[in-house]
Amino acid sequence: MSIAWVAPEPSYRSYLQVRSLLSMLVLAAIVGVAWYTGVYPTHVLPLWAAGAIWAALTIFFSLFFAARRFQFTAYARTDEGIHLKQGALFRKIRAVPLNRIQHVEYKHSFLERLFGIARLAMYTAGSGGADLTIPGLDPEFAMQLKNELLTTIANEPTEDTQANE
Amino acid sequence: MSELSWQRTPLITIAFFLLRQVKQLVSNISNLIPVFAAIFVAGKNATWLPFALVGGYLAYVVISAILQQRFFLYAIADDAVHIRTGLFNRQHLTLKYERIQQAEIHQVWYFRPFALTILSVDSAGSAGKEVMIPGLTMTLAQELRQRMLETSTVSETSAETATESAATPDVEQHFPASEIVRAGIIDNKLFVLLAVLIYPVSQLDLLENYVVPWVQAHVSWLSSDNAWLLVGGATVAGLALLFLLAIVVSLITYHDLHLSISGERFQARSGAFSIRTLSFRYPKLQAVYIRRNLRARLLRRSVVRVSQLQPRQAQAGQTSAQQFVLPVVDQRFLQRFRARLRMPEQHEVHWQRLSNLALLGPSLWLALLAPLAAVALVLGAESGMLGLLLTALGWLIIQTLIVLSWRNYAYSFVTSGTTPQEQWFVVRRGVFSRNENWYPRHKVQQLDVVRGPWLRLLGFAHLILHTAAGSESIRYLPAKQALTLQQEWTQEIAQNRRRWM
Repeated sequence: MSIAWVAPEPSYRSYLQVRSLLSMLVLAAIVGVAWYTGVYPTHVLPLWAAGAIWAALTIFFSLFFAARRFQFTAYARTDEGIHLKQGALFRKIRAVPLNRIQHVEYKHSFLERLFGIARLAMYTAGSGGADLTIPGLDPEFAMQLKNELLTTIANEPTEDTQANE
Repeated sequence: MSELSWQRTPLITIAFFLLRQVKQLVSNISNLIPVFAAIFVAGKNATWLPFALVGGYLAYVVISAILQQRFFLYAIADDAVHIRTGLFNRQHLTLKYERIQQAEIHQVWYFRPFALTILSVDSAGSAGKEVMIPGLTMTLAQELRQRMLETSTVSETSAETATESAATPDVEQHFPASEIVRAGIIDNKLFVLLAVLIYPVSQLDLLENYVVPWVQAHVSWLSSDNAWLLVGGATVAGLALLFLLAIVVSLITYHDLHLSISGERFQARSGAFSIRTLSFRYPKLQAVYIRRNLRARLLRRSVVRVSQLQPRQAQAGQTSAQQFVLPVVDQRFLQRFRARLRMPEQHEVHWQRLSNLALLGPSLWLALLAPLAAVALVLGAESGMLGLLLTALGWLIIQTLIVLSWRNYAYSFVTSGTTPQEQWFVVRRGVFSRNENWYPRHKVQQLDVVRGPWLRLLGFAHLILHTAAGSESIRYLPAKQALTLQQEWTQEIAQNRRRWM
């Protein structure tokens, strides 16, 4: 049986690119402040070299890496579980059986709102953070999926209904 | 809510709140070290400061313990326990019986003369709330616990539970003192303590200031020729002392250890001063750990731990004592116990080893680091041949350890031959020790297939299984096999309707 993988919304790619650009801008701001206050060690690394490295990293992460990450991100909802593929270099395929999901969270950050996408996080018992987060979903579809998952989980037959086994 | 009858705990429970605060200080002591250092530095000029601080702390502890006792109110309703705490920040906690994971009765030494107990209750909430109600009478605590556990499991075995508690247990095992002494020998805790203690002790300059002058004054026959005798003797004596201490600790904590199994309920009672009762119900079992370190292997004993779903914070350390532990189990009883846990017999397990490729990664790193260390030693420290020899020796030892741990690592998927059947996933590991981690298969919650660039090149993948009790990885599986396993397991778990927590 093969899994029908679904790719996230195309705007998720732009979201990833903007996000990595933003973190690179923070880095640039730190260097800028260091230079402005005179802490920056010019004799070790001239400013133009740092700028070149920064530009190269920005192009690499924002254009290549984000696109590649987008390319390999996909999720699938089968009858028995939720599957998620992620990772540009280190690929991970995670599967969570539906009846092990404890609660579902709908997340919609500021940046995500700009791109019109949302995340859906699923949690299992006894572990730390979110166990499976599907990124780049259409907000309406994410809500729909959340409700659907919740009804499935709530209607899950347990041993109670078929006791005396 | 108004009809709740709020009750205050007896006055003696001030001792409980007092001890809890002291315990908190002890467990946070490592975080406070910078503060102590600052006080120490400041104390050079003002000698009264440390005393003032200690006095202030003592006063604070006593007052807050009294206040905590005054403001700790509990009420027992038909379906829940209500607890109200807090002087300024009022907290009202409602714990439904049906959500309770675990309820234990502790007979602490300072409550025993008053025939009082502490009831500690665990819920599965992610916040890891563990609630302790101190100062209940034994009968009340027992009745309450019975009610909690009955309600929480009423759906599965409603008819059984009622009779279960009254009936005599199916299996009873009493562990004699000789076994408990063995448990002390096997136990590792003191060695860990020793490692923690070594640094502060070394800072005291005990050796130079006290030991050396004493030896020079009293032991005239000692010369530099037989100094090694003294050092050897001291080491042996120190080790013997450690073992003795470990045995004493184990005799106190596991005094009169008594295990009883009735139906799906497992219970162990022990303790010389504080009597601990640890128990779990089979459906809540998340993992079974069978530990056998080198000493245990020589003594032909094992340590068995059973873990239930525990709130995260509890796992981090302090309440790990809550885990169900049998500190010393001989082969015969282990077999019986395993059967009770619906685990397959030893010969039914077909161990599968990891691929040879699993050796490659660590070996490569070592092969890279060893020459670097050699170069650093020869050129940097100018140690000559000795440095080379030492690195060669170090490389040999570590490489042997890597190979040994790879050889002893094995996993297996087994279905037990017991009725009812249980499917297990088991991992065995250890260099000199033999540790087995058993997980019921249907309690796996997440399955990961992980492939880095290097693994993709070779066509392999790691399979990582997450359960509520921890995760295990099977490394270097052929990628196809890993993916099929993941799918098969997801399907099987999803179709399994049994309770998993």
